[in-house]
Amino acid sequence: MNFDFVLYLVINTAIILAISPLFVSLIKKVKAWTQGRSGPSVFQTYFTLIKLLKKEVIYSPNSSRIMRVTPLVTLAAILVAALFVPLVFVPEPIGGIGNIILFLYLLALARFFMALAGLDAGSCFGGMGSSREMSISSIIEPTTIIVFAALAFVFKSLNIFDMFFLTAASGSPATPTLILIGISLFIILIVETSRIPVDNPETHLELTMIHEGMILEQSGRNLALMELSSAVKMTVLMALLINLIVPFGIATTLTFAGILIAVIAFMIKCSVLAGVIGLFESSMAKKRFFQLPSLFAMAFFFSTLIIIIEVFS
Amino acid sequence: MIEQVTIEGIIRILFVCVIITAAYIISTRNLLSVVSVYALQSLTLVCIALALYFLEGSVVLLAIAGVTFISKVIIIPYFIATIQEKIRIKRDIEFHYLSPTTSLLISMILMLVIYMALSRIVVGSPSRENLFFFGAVLGISLMLMGMMVTFSRKRAITKVLGFLSMENGVLLFGMFVTELPFIIEFLIIIDLIILVILTTILSVGIDSTLEDYHKRLHRFHLLDDSEEVI
Repeated sequence: MNFDFVLYLVINTAIILAISPLFVSLIKKVKAWTQGRSGPSVFQTYFTLIKLLKKEVIYSPNSSRIMRVTPLVTLAAILVAALFVPLVFVPEPIGGIGNIILFLYLLALARFFMALAGLDAGSCFGGMGSSREMSISSIIEPTTIIVFAALAFVFKSLNIFDMFFLTAASGSPATPTLILIGISLFIILIVETSRIPVDNPETHLELTMIHEGMILEQSGRNLALMELSSAVKMTVLMALLINLIVPFGIATTLTFAGILIAVIAFMIKCSVLAGVIGLFESSMAKKRFFQLPSLFAMAFFFSTLIIIIEVFS
Repeated sequence: MIEQVTIEGIIRILFVCVIITAAYIISTRNLLSVVSVYALQSLTLVCIALALYFLEGSVVLLAIAGVTFISKVIIIPYFIATIQEKIRIKRDIEFHYLSPTTSLLISMILMLVIYMALSRIVVGSPSRENLFFFGAVLGISLMLMGMMVTFSRKRAITKVLGFLSMENGVLLFGMFVTELPFIIEFLIIIDLIILVILTTILSVGIDSTLEDYHKRLHRFHLLDDSEEVI
Protein backbone atom coordinates (compact mmCIF):
# COMPACT_ATOMS: atom_id res chain seq x y z
CA MET A 1 0.00 0.00 0.00
CA ASN A 2 1.63 3.21 -1.11
CA PHE A 3 1.44 6.70 0.27
CA ASP A 4 -0.92 7.97 -2.41
CA PHE A 5 -3.47 5.36 -1.55
CA VAL A 6 -3.37 6.10 2.18
CA LEU A 7 -3.84 9.74 1.38
CA TYR A 8 -6.75 8.82 -0.87
CA LEU A 9 -8.42 6.93 1.98
CA VAL A 10 -8.10 9.93 4.28
CA ILE A 11 -9.21 12.51 1.72
CA ASN A 12 -12.18 10.53 0.48
CA THR A 13 -13.53 9.73 3.93
CA ALA A 14 -13.00 13.26 5.21
CA ILE A 15 -14.70 14.85 2.23
CA ILE A 16 -17.68 12.55 2.23
CA LEU A 17 -18.26 12.98 5.97
CA ALA A 18 -17.95 16.73 5.63
CA ILE A 19 -20.22 17.32 2.67
CA SER A 20 -22.88 14.64 2.73
CA PRO A 21 -25.23 16.34 5.25
CA LEU A 22 -25.16 19.43 3.06
CA PHE A 23 -26.88 17.70 0.15
CA VAL A 24 -29.63 16.29 2.35
CA SER A 25 -30.53 19.80 3.42
CA LEU A 26 -30.10 21.09 -0.11
CA ILE A 27 -32.76 18.69 -1.41
CA LYS A 28 -35.06 19.78 1.41
CA LYS A 29 -34.41 23.40 0.52
CA VAL A 30 -35.23 22.85 -3.16
CA LYS A 31 -38.42 21.05 -2.21
CA ALA A 32 -39.37 23.90 0.12
CA TRP A 33 -38.78 26.42 -2.66
CA THR A 34 -41.03 24.56 -5.05
CA GLN A 35 -43.74 24.59 -2.39
CA GLY A 36 -43.29 28.33 -1.90
CA ARG A 37 -41.74 28.06 1.54
CA SER A 38 -38.33 29.40 2.45
CA GLY A 39 -37.35 26.13 4.11
CA PRO A 40 -34.68 25.34 6.69
CA SER A 41 -31.11 26.55 6.34
CA VAL A 42 -28.83 24.44 4.14
CA PHE A 43 -26.76 23.69 7.24
CA GLN A 44 -29.73 22.39 9.20
CA THR A 45 -28.64 18.74 8.96
CA TYR A 46 -25.31 19.60 10.59
CA PHE A 47 -27.12 21.31 13.47
CA THR A 48 -29.44 18.34 13.89
CA LEU A 49 -26.54 15.92 13.94
CA ILE A 50 -24.65 17.99 16.54
CA LYS A 51 -27.77 18.25 18.68
CA LEU A 52 -28.38 14.51 18.48
CA LEU A 53 -24.77 13.72 19.36
CA LYS A 54 -25.18 15.60 22.64
CA LYS A 55 -28.30 13.70 23.70
CA GLU A 56 -28.36 10.52 25.72
CA VAL A 57 -29.24 7.16 24.17
CA ILE A 58 -32.34 5.37 25.38
CA TYR A 59 -32.85 1.70 24.63
CA SER A 60 -36.12 -0.12 24.76
CA PRO A 61 -36.12 -2.78 27.56
CA ASN A 62 -36.94 -5.40 24.92
CA SER A 63 -33.98 -4.61 22.75
CA SER A 64 -30.91 -6.78 22.51
CA ARG A 65 -27.30 -6.28 21.53
CA ILE A 66 -28.28 -5.83 17.87
CA MET A 67 -29.78 -2.45 18.68
CA ARG A 68 -26.49 -1.34 20.20
CA VAL A 69 -24.19 -2.41 17.39
CA THR A 70 -26.41 -1.54 14.42
CA PRO A 71 -25.54 2.17 14.15
CA LEU A 72 -21.84 1.36 14.23
CA VAL A 73 -22.09 -1.52 11.76
CA THR A 74 -24.24 0.51 9.39
CA LEU A 75 -21.97 3.52 9.39
CA ALA A 76 -18.86 1.36 9.09
CA ALA A 77 -20.24 -0.64 6.17
CA ILE A 78 -21.33 2.48 4.34
CA LEU A 79 -18.05 4.30 4.96
CA VAL A 80 -16.15 1.33 3.56
CA ALA A 81 -18.51 1.34 0.58
CA ALA A 82 -17.76 5.05 0.22
CA LEU A 83 -14.08 4.21 -0.24
CA PHE A 84 -15.05 2.27 -3.35
CA VAL A 85 -16.36 5.37 -5.09
CA PRO A 86 -13.67 8.00 -5.51
CA LEU A 87 -15.19 11.45 -5.14
CA VAL A 88 -12.42 13.76 -6.27
CA PHE A 89 -9.28 11.71 -6.81
CA VAL A 90 -8.86 8.32 -8.52
CA PRO A 91 -5.77 6.37 -7.40
CA GLU A 92 -4.59 2.99 -8.64
CA PRO A 93 -6.90 0.41 -7.06
CA ILE A 94 -5.36 -1.88 -4.46
CA GLY A 95 -6.66 -5.26 -3.45
CA GLY A 96 -10.39 -5.72 -3.67
CA ILE A 97 -11.15 -2.05 -3.23
CA GLY A 98 -13.42 -0.76 -5.96
CA ASN A 99 -14.97 -4.10 -6.77
CA ILE A 100 -18.54 -3.46 -7.81
CA ILE A 101 -20.01 -6.65 -6.35
CA LEU A 102 -18.42 -6.05 -2.96
CA PHE A 103 -19.75 -2.50 -3.12
CA LEU A 104 -23.31 -3.73 -3.60
CA TYR A 105 -23.06 -6.23 -0.79
CA LEU A 106 -21.62 -3.70 1.65
CA LEU A 107 -24.72 -1.62 1.01
CA ALA A 108 -26.82 -4.77 1.50
CA LEU A 109 -25.05 -5.49 4.80
CA ALA A 110 -25.91 -2.04 6.11
CA ARG A 111 -29.49 -2.52 5.03
CA PHE A 112 -29.67 -5.95 6.64
CA PHE A 113 -28.57 -4.63 10.01
CA MET A 114 -30.92 -1.70 9.73
CA ALA A 115 -33.83 -4.08 9.15
CA LEU A 116 -32.77 -6.26 12.09
CA ALA A 117 -32.66 -3.24 14.37
CA GLY A 118 -36.12 -2.28 13.22
CA LEU A 119 -37.41 -5.65 14.36
CA ASP A 120 -35.26 -5.76 17.48
CA ALA A 121 -36.98 -3.07 19.53
CA GLY A 122 -40.27 -4.94 19.32
CA SER A 123 -42.32 -1.94 18.19
CA CYS A 124 -44.80 -2.68 15.45
CA PHE A 125 -43.78 0.28 13.31
CA GLY A 126 -40.21 -0.91 13.18
CA GLY A 127 -41.33 -4.35 12.10
CA MET A 128 -43.54 -2.92 9.38
CA GLY A 129 -40.72 -0.72 8.15
CA SER A 130 -38.33 -3.66 8.06
CA SER A 131 -40.75 -5.89 6.23
CA ARG A 132 -41.43 -3.24 3.59
CA GLU A 133 -37.76 -2.44 3.19
CA MET A 134 -36.94 -6.09 2.68
CA SER A 135 -39.71 -6.59 0.11
CA ILE A 136 -38.56 -3.55 -1.82
CA SER A 137 -34.93 -4.53 -1.65
CA SER A 138 -35.66 -8.04 -2.86
CA ILE A 139 -37.44 -6.55 -5.87
CA ILE A 140 -34.79 -3.94 -6.59
CA GLU A 141 -31.88 -6.32 -6.14
CA PRO A 142 -32.10 -8.00 -9.60
CA THR A 143 -32.46 -4.59 -11.20
CA THR A 144 -29.44 -3.26 -9.36
CA ILE A 145 -27.39 -6.27 -10.37
CA ILE A 146 -28.42 -5.87 -14.01
CA VAL A 147 -27.59 -2.17 -14.00
CA PHE A 148 -24.15 -2.82 -12.56
CA ALA A 149 -23.68 -5.72 -14.97
CA ALA A 150 -24.44 -3.31 -17.79
CA LEU A 151 -21.80 -0.96 -16.36
CA ALA A 152 -19.33 -3.82 -16.28
CA PHE A 153 -20.16 -4.74 -19.89
CA VAL A 154 -19.71 -1.18 -21.10
CA PHE A 155 -16.38 -0.62 -19.35
CA LYS A 156 -15.15 -4.22 -19.57
CA SER A 157 -14.19 -4.10 -15.90
CA LEU A 158 -15.65 -4.92 -12.52
CA ASN A 159 -13.75 -2.20 -10.77
CA ILE A 160 -15.27 1.23 -10.17
CA PHE A 161 -11.82 2.83 -10.19
CA ASP A 162 -11.13 1.53 -13.69
CA MET A 163 -14.47 2.85 -14.89
CA PHE A 164 -13.73 6.29 -13.50
CA PHE A 165 -10.30 6.19 -15.11
CA LEU A 166 -11.87 5.48 -18.48
CA THR A 167 -14.53 8.17 -18.25
CA ALA A 168 -12.05 10.71 -16.88
CA ALA A 169 -9.58 9.89 -19.65
CA SER A 170 -12.13 10.15 -22.44
CA GLY A 171 -13.47 13.35 -20.87
CA SER A 172 -16.23 13.49 -23.45
CA PRO A 173 -19.80 14.19 -22.47
CA ALA A 174 -22.04 11.20 -22.07
CA THR A 175 -22.29 8.64 -24.82
CA PRO A 176 -25.73 7.15 -25.62
CA THR A 177 -25.17 4.03 -23.55
CA LEU A 178 -24.09 6.15 -20.60
CA ILE A 179 -27.28 8.20 -20.84
CA LEU A 180 -29.34 5.02 -20.51
CA ILE A 181 -27.17 3.84 -17.63
CA GLY A 182 -27.53 7.27 -16.05
CA ILE A 183 -31.32 6.95 -16.03
CA SER A 184 -31.12 3.48 -14.49
CA LEU A 185 -28.65 4.68 -11.86
CA PHE A 186 -30.92 7.61 -11.08
CA ILE A 187 -33.82 5.25 -10.43
CA ILE A 188 -31.59 3.12 -8.21
CA LEU A 189 -30.44 6.23 -6.36
CA ILE A 190 -34.06 7.16 -5.68
CA VAL A 191 -34.96 3.67 -4.47
CA GLU A 192 -31.86 3.01 -2.40
CA THR A 193 -32.08 6.30 -0.54
CA SER A 194 -35.83 5.90 0.07
CA ARG A 195 -36.92 9.02 -1.72
CA ILE A 196 -40.30 10.02 -3.01
CA PRO A 197 -41.95 7.68 -5.46
CA VAL A 198 -40.86 4.86 -3.15
CA ASP A 199 -40.81 6.30 0.34
CA ASN A 200 -41.29 9.75 1.79
CA PRO A 201 -38.32 10.72 3.95
CA GLU A 202 -40.22 13.53 5.63
CA THR A 203 -43.19 11.73 7.06
CA HIS A 204 -43.67 9.69 10.18
CA LEU A 205 -47.09 8.48 9.13
CA GLU A 206 -47.47 4.82 9.98
CA LEU A 207 -49.00 3.88 6.65
CA THR A 208 -46.19 5.10 4.48
CA MET A 209 -42.90 5.14 6.29
CA ILE A 210 -40.25 2.62 5.35
CA HIS A 211 -36.82 3.94 6.19
CA GLU A 212 -38.06 6.17 8.99
CA GLY A 213 -39.99 3.26 10.46
CA MET A 214 -36.84 1.24 10.93
CA ILE A 215 -34.94 3.95 12.75
CA LEU A 216 -37.89 5.08 14.81
CA GLU A 217 -36.55 3.44 17.98
CA GLN A 218 -33.08 4.92 17.66
CA SER A 219 -32.23 7.89 19.80
CA GLY A 220 -29.44 10.28 20.63
CA ARG A 221 -25.99 9.44 19.37
CA ASN A 222 -27.19 6.30 17.61
CA LEU A 223 -29.81 8.22 15.69
CA ALA A 224 -27.14 10.70 14.62
CA LEU A 225 -25.02 7.83 13.27
CA MET A 226 -27.98 6.40 11.37
CA GLU A 227 -28.86 9.79 9.86
CA LEU A 228 -25.23 10.34 8.92
CA SER A 229 -24.95 6.94 7.30
CA SER A 230 -28.03 7.49 5.15
CA ALA A 231 -26.65 10.88 4.12
CA VAL A 232 -23.30 9.30 3.23
CA LYS A 233 -25.04 6.56 1.27
CA MET A 234 -26.93 9.09 -0.77
CA THR A 235 -23.80 11.09 -1.55
CA VAL A 236 -21.90 7.94 -2.56
CA LEU A 237 -24.60 6.95 -5.04
CA MET A 238 -24.77 10.52 -6.34
CA ALA A 239 -21.01 10.51 -6.78
CA LEU A 240 -21.19 7.25 -8.71
CA LEU A 241 -23.73 8.75 -11.09
CA ILE A 242 -21.88 12.06 -11.46
CA ASN A 243 -18.40 10.67 -11.99
CA LEU A 244 -19.63 8.27 -14.63
CA ILE A 245 -21.78 10.65 -16.63
CA VAL A 246 -20.06 14.03 -16.23
CA PRO A 247 -16.47 13.27 -15.19
CA PHE A 248 -15.09 16.78 -15.78
CA GLY A 249 -12.60 18.00 -13.23
CA ILE A 250 -11.92 14.72 -11.43
CA ALA A 251 -8.23 14.39 -10.50
CA THR A 252 -6.23 11.35 -11.55
CA THR A 253 -2.89 12.54 -10.19
CA LEU A 254 -2.31 13.74 -6.67
CA THR A 255 -1.67 17.48 -6.65
CA PHE A 256 -3.08 20.02 -4.27
CA ALA A 257 -4.46 22.27 -7.02
CA GLY A 258 -5.96 19.33 -8.86
CA ILE A 259 -7.77 18.12 -5.74
CA LEU A 260 -9.01 21.61 -4.97
CA ILE A 261 -10.46 22.01 -8.47
CA ALA A 262 -11.95 18.53 -8.26
CA VAL A 263 -13.63 19.32 -4.94
CA ILE A 264 -15.13 22.53 -6.28
CA ALA A 265 -16.28 20.83 -9.49
CA PHE A 266 -17.75 17.96 -7.51
CA MET A 267 -19.61 20.32 -5.17
CA ILE A 268 -21.14 22.16 -8.11
CA LYS A 269 -22.16 19.00 -9.97
CA CYS A 270 -23.54 17.40 -6.83
CA SER A 271 -25.56 20.52 -5.98
CA VAL A 272 -27.07 20.47 -9.45
CA LEU A 273 -27.96 16.80 -9.04
CA ALA A 274 -29.46 17.50 -5.62
CA GLY A 275 -31.56 20.20 -7.26
CA VAL A 276 -32.69 17.73 -9.90
CA ILE A 277 -33.65 15.21 -7.23
CA GLY A 278 -35.55 17.90 -5.34
CA LEU A 279 -37.48 18.91 -8.45
CA PHE A 280 -38.13 15.29 -9.38
CA GLU A 281 -39.54 14.62 -5.94
CA SER A 282 -41.69 17.73 -6.00
CA SER A 283 -43.18 16.77 -9.34
CA MET A 284 -44.21 13.29 -8.25
CA ALA A 285 -46.54 11.75 -5.76
CA LYS A 286 -45.62 8.70 -3.75
CA LYS A 287 -46.44 5.56 -5.68
CA ARG A 288 -48.59 2.80 -4.35
CA PHE A 289 -46.50 -0.01 -2.94
CA PHE A 290 -47.61 -2.56 -5.53
CA GLN A 291 -46.98 -0.19 -8.42
CA LEU A 292 -43.31 0.15 -7.56
CA PRO A 293 -42.16 -2.72 -9.82
CA SER A 294 -43.10 -0.64 -12.86
CA LEU A 295 -40.48 1.91 -11.78
CA PHE A 296 -37.84 -0.77 -11.41
CA ALA A 297 -38.88 -2.35 -14.70
CA MET A 298 -37.85 0.85 -16.45
CA ALA A 299 -34.31 0.63 -15.05
CA PHE A 300 -34.25 -3.07 -15.83
CA PHE A 301 -35.39 -2.43 -19.40
CA PHE A 302 -32.74 0.19 -20.11
CA SER A 303 -29.87 -1.77 -18.66
CA THR A 304 -30.84 -5.01 -20.38
CA LEU A 305 -30.98 -3.06 -23.61
CA ILE A 306 -27.41 -1.89 -23.01
CA ILE A 307 -26.28 -5.44 -22.38
CA ILE A 308 -27.97 -6.58 -25.58
CA ILE A 309 -26.29 -3.81 -27.55
CA GLU A 310 -22.92 -4.46 -25.96
CA VAL A 311 -23.07 -8.21 -26.44
CA PHE A 312 -24.31 -8.31 -30.01
CA SER A 313 -22.54 -5.37 -31.61
CA MET B 1 -20.02 21.65 -42.47
CA ILE B 2 -20.27 19.56 -39.34
CA GLU B 3 -18.17 16.45 -39.10
CA GLN B 4 -19.74 13.15 -39.93
CA VAL B 5 -18.72 11.53 -36.66
CA THR B 6 -20.40 14.26 -34.64
CA ILE B 7 -23.64 13.83 -36.57
CA GLU B 8 -23.54 10.08 -36.04
CA GLY B 9 -23.04 10.70 -32.31
CA ILE B 10 -26.01 13.04 -32.28
CA ILE B 11 -28.15 10.47 -34.09
CA ARG B 12 -27.20 7.84 -31.53
CA ILE B 13 -28.22 10.14 -28.68
CA LEU B 14 -31.52 10.80 -30.48
CA PHE B 15 -32.02 7.02 -30.72
CA VAL B 16 -31.75 6.89 -26.96
CA CYS B 17 -34.41 9.60 -26.70
CA VAL B 18 -36.70 7.52 -28.94
CA ILE B 19 -36.21 4.46 -26.73
CA ILE B 20 -36.92 6.46 -23.59
CA THR B 21 -40.10 7.99 -24.98
CA ALA B 22 -41.29 4.60 -26.24
CA ALA B 23 -40.71 3.04 -22.84
CA TYR B 24 -42.58 5.91 -21.23
CA ILE B 25 -45.56 5.61 -23.55
CA ILE B 26 -45.79 1.89 -22.94
CA SER B 27 -45.62 2.09 -19.17
CA THR B 28 -47.30 5.28 -18.02
CA ARG B 29 -50.78 5.61 -16.63
CA ASN B 30 -50.96 9.36 -16.88
CA LEU B 31 -52.85 10.29 -20.03
CA LEU B 32 -51.99 13.95 -20.08
CA SER B 33 -48.27 13.31 -20.28
CA VAL B 34 -48.62 10.60 -22.94
CA VAL B 35 -49.65 13.18 -25.51
CA SER B 36 -46.74 15.47 -24.75
CA VAL B 37 -44.34 12.55 -24.77
CA TYR B 38 -45.74 11.51 -28.14
CA ALA B 39 -45.12 15.03 -29.42
CA LEU B 40 -41.59 14.80 -28.02
CA GLN B 41 -41.03 11.51 -29.81
CA SER B 42 -42.16 13.01 -33.08
CA LEU B 43 -39.88 15.97 -32.47
CA THR B 44 -36.99 13.56 -31.97
CA LEU B 45 -37.83 11.99 -35.32
CA VAL B 46 -37.79 15.43 -36.90
CA CYS B 47 -34.32 15.99 -35.42
CA ILE B 48 -33.16 12.60 -36.74
CA ALA B 49 -34.45 13.47 -40.21
CA LEU B 50 -32.59 16.79 -40.09
CA ALA B 51 -29.39 15.10 -38.91
CA LEU B 52 -29.72 12.55 -41.73
CA TYR B 53 -30.15 15.41 -44.17
CA PHE B 54 -26.79 16.80 -43.08
CA LEU B 55 -25.31 13.34 -43.49
CA GLU B 56 -26.81 12.47 -46.88
CA GLY B 57 -28.06 15.69 -48.33
CA SER B 58 -31.24 14.39 -49.94
CA VAL B 59 -33.96 16.99 -49.96
CA VAL B 60 -36.75 14.48 -49.34
CA LEU B 61 -35.54 14.20 -45.76
CA LEU B 62 -36.05 17.93 -45.27
CA ALA B 63 -39.57 17.62 -46.63
CA ILE B 64 -40.27 14.67 -44.33
CA ALA B 65 -38.98 16.67 -41.38
CA GLY B 66 -41.20 19.60 -42.29
CA VAL B 67 -44.35 17.56 -42.78
CA THR B 68 -43.72 15.54 -39.62
CA PHE B 69 -43.16 18.67 -37.61
CA ILE B 70 -46.35 20.34 -38.74
CA SER B 71 -48.57 17.29 -38.49
CA LYS B 72 -47.22 15.20 -35.63
CA VAL B 73 -45.68 17.78 -33.36
CA ILE B 74 -48.33 20.46 -33.70
CA ILE B 75 -51.65 19.41 -35.25
CA ILE B 76 -52.23 15.86 -33.93
CA PRO B 77 -51.13 16.48 -30.31
CA TYR B 78 -53.25 19.63 -30.34
CA PHE B 79 -56.30 17.66 -31.49
CA ILE B 80 -55.82 14.93 -28.93
CA ALA B 81 -55.22 17.40 -26.13
CA THR B 82 -58.46 19.11 -27.08
CA ILE B 83 -60.37 15.82 -26.96
CA GLN B 84 -58.90 15.06 -23.59
CA GLU B 85 -59.99 18.37 -22.21
CA LYS B 86 -63.53 17.70 -23.40
CA ILE B 87 -63.89 14.16 -22.11
CA ARG B 88 -61.81 14.75 -19.03
CA ILE B 89 -60.15 11.39 -18.69
CA LYS B 90 -56.98 11.90 -16.73
CA ARG B 91 -55.73 8.42 -16.08
CA ASP B 92 -55.72 5.18 -17.99
CA ILE B 93 -55.62 2.35 -15.53
CA GLU B 94 -57.44 -0.41 -17.33
CA PHE B 95 -55.44 -2.91 -19.31
CA HIS B 96 -56.16 -5.94 -21.46
CA TYR B 97 -53.94 -9.01 -21.24
CA LEU B 98 -50.75 -7.20 -20.26
CA SER B 99 -49.81 -4.86 -17.46
CA PRO B 100 -47.34 -2.06 -18.29
CA THR B 101 -44.50 -3.86 -16.53
CA THR B 102 -45.06 -7.05 -18.47
CA SER B 103 -45.31 -5.22 -21.75
CA LEU B 104 -42.03 -3.46 -21.00
CA LEU B 105 -40.36 -6.81 -20.40
CA ILE B 106 -41.92 -8.29 -23.52
CA SER B 107 -40.80 -5.36 -25.64
CA MET B 108 -37.27 -6.05 -24.43
CA ILE B 109 -37.49 -9.60 -25.75
CA LEU B 110 -39.03 -8.29 -28.97
CA MET B 111 -36.09 -5.97 -29.50
CA LEU B 112 -33.68 -8.83 -28.99
CA VAL B 113 -35.54 -11.02 -31.48
CA ILE B 114 -35.70 -8.23 -34.06
CA TYR B 115 -32.02 -7.52 -33.57
CA MET B 116 -31.09 -11.13 -34.18
CA ALA B 117 -33.49 -11.51 -37.10
CA LEU B 118 -32.31 -8.37 -38.83
CA SER B 119 -28.65 -9.14 -38.30
CA ARG B 120 -29.16 -12.22 -40.48
CA ILE B 121 -30.71 -10.18 -43.26
CA VAL B 122 -28.67 -7.00 -43.22
CA VAL B 123 -24.96 -7.58 -43.44
CA GLY B 124 -23.00 -4.53 -42.47
CA SER B 125 -19.60 -4.05 -40.94
CA PRO B 126 -18.53 -0.36 -40.95
CA SER B 127 -19.89 2.02 -38.35
CA ARG B 128 -22.06 3.84 -40.85
CA GLU B 129 -23.83 0.63 -41.77
CA ASN B 130 -24.09 -0.09 -38.08
CA LEU B 131 -25.93 3.17 -37.48
CA PHE B 132 -28.44 2.39 -40.19
CA PHE B 133 -28.88 -1.11 -38.85
CA PHE B 134 -29.71 0.28 -35.41
CA GLY B 135 -32.19 2.66 -36.96
CA ALA B 136 -33.93 -0.26 -38.63
CA VAL B 137 -34.04 -2.30 -35.43
CA LEU B 138 -35.37 0.64 -33.49
CA GLY B 139 -37.97 1.38 -36.16
CA ILE B 140 -39.43 -2.11 -36.11
CA SER B 141 -39.29 -2.31 -32.34
CA LEU B 142 -41.09 1.01 -32.04
CA MET B 143 -43.72 -0.34 -34.40
CA LEU B 144 -44.26 -3.46 -32.32
CA MET B 145 -44.20 -1.53 -29.07
CA GLY B 146 -46.88 0.76 -30.47
CA MET B 147 -48.87 -2.31 -31.39
CA MET B 148 -48.55 -3.57 -27.86
CA VAL B 149 -49.89 -0.27 -26.53
CA THR B 150 -52.78 -0.55 -28.98
CA PHE B 151 -53.92 -3.94 -27.82
CA SER B 152 -53.13 -3.69 -24.13
CA ARG B 153 -55.01 -0.50 -23.35
CA LYS B 154 -58.75 -0.23 -23.04
CA ARG B 155 -59.32 3.44 -23.65
CA ALA B 156 -59.82 4.43 -27.28
CA ILE B 157 -57.64 7.46 -26.87
CA THR B 158 -54.58 5.51 -25.76
CA LYS B 159 -55.17 2.98 -28.49
CA VAL B 160 -54.91 5.79 -30.98
CA LEU B 161 -51.71 7.01 -29.36
CA GLY B 162 -50.29 3.53 -29.68
CA PHE B 163 -51.20 3.52 -33.33
CA LEU B 164 -49.57 6.89 -33.80
CA SER B 165 -46.38 5.71 -32.18
CA MET B 166 -46.51 2.66 -34.47
CA GLU B 167 -46.52 5.03 -37.41
CA ASN B 168 -43.48 6.77 -35.93
CA GLY B 169 -41.75 3.42 -36.08
CA VAL B 170 -42.63 3.04 -39.74
CA LEU B 171 -41.25 6.49 -40.41
CA LEU B 172 -38.03 5.68 -38.58
CA PHE B 173 -37.62 2.42 -40.47
CA GLY B 174 -38.34 4.19 -43.73
CA MET B 175 -35.76 6.87 -43.05
CA PHE B 176 -32.99 4.39 -42.36
CA VAL B 177 -33.57 1.44 -44.61
CA THR B 178 -35.75 2.02 -47.61
CA GLU B 179 -36.28 5.21 -49.48
CA LEU B 180 -39.94 5.64 -48.70
CA PRO B 181 -41.45 7.75 -51.49
CA PHE B 182 -42.47 11.10 -50.13
CA ILE B 183 -45.99 10.80 -51.50
CA ILE B 184 -46.62 7.68 -49.43
CA GLU B 185 -45.30 9.39 -46.31
CA PHE B 186 -47.62 12.28 -47.02
CA LEU B 187 -50.61 9.99 -47.52
CA ILE B 188 -49.89 8.20 -44.26
CA ILE B 189 -49.92 11.49 -42.44
CA ILE B 190 -53.23 12.49 -43.99
CA ASP B 191 -54.55 9.10 -42.88
CA LEU B 192 -53.35 9.82 -39.37
CA ILE B 193 -55.08 13.15 -39.23
CA ILE B 194 -58.33 11.59 -40.40
CA LEU B 195 -57.86 8.86 -37.80
CA VAL B 196 -57.47 11.42 -35.05
CA ILE B 197 -60.59 13.25 -36.19
CA LEU B 198 -62.44 9.94 -36.17
CA THR B 199 -61.24 9.33 -32.64
CA THR B 200 -62.98 12.46 -31.55
CA ILE B 201 -66.16 10.80 -32.66
CA LEU B 202 -65.25 7.34 -31.36
CA SER B 203 -64.26 8.43 -27.92
CA VAL B 204 -67.48 10.32 -27.39
CA GLY B 205 -69.74 7.55 -28.65
CA ILE B 206 -69.91 5.42 -31.74
CA ASP B 207 -73.00 3.53 -30.70
CA SER B 208 -75.39 6.39 -31.27
CA THR B 209 -77.33 7.86 -34.14
CA LEU B 210 -76.24 11.19 -35.48
CA GLU B 211 -78.89 13.14 -33.58
CA ASP B 212 -78.15 11.30 -30.42
CA TYR B 213 -74.45 11.85 -30.94
CA HIS B 214 -75.04 15.53 -31.36
CA LYS B 215 -76.88 15.58 -28.07
CA ARG B 216 -74.07 13.73 -26.35
CA LEU B 217 -71.55 16.21 -27.63
CA HIS B 218 -73.68 18.94 -26.18
CA ARG B 219 -73.85 17.17 -22.88
CA PHE B 220 -70.11 16.93 -22.68
CA HIS B 221 -69.76 20.57 -23.45
CA LEU B 222 -72.44 22.00 -21.29
CA LEU B 223 -73.34 19.78 -18.36
CA ASP B 224 -69.79 19.18 -17.28
CA ASP B 225 -70.34 18.31 -13.66
CA SER B 226 -73.01 15.63 -14.14
CA GLU B 227 -71.15 13.60 -16.74
CA GLU B 228 -67.98 12.43 -15.14
CA VAL B 229 -66.20 9.93 -17.37
CA ILE B 230 -63.29 8.28 -15.64
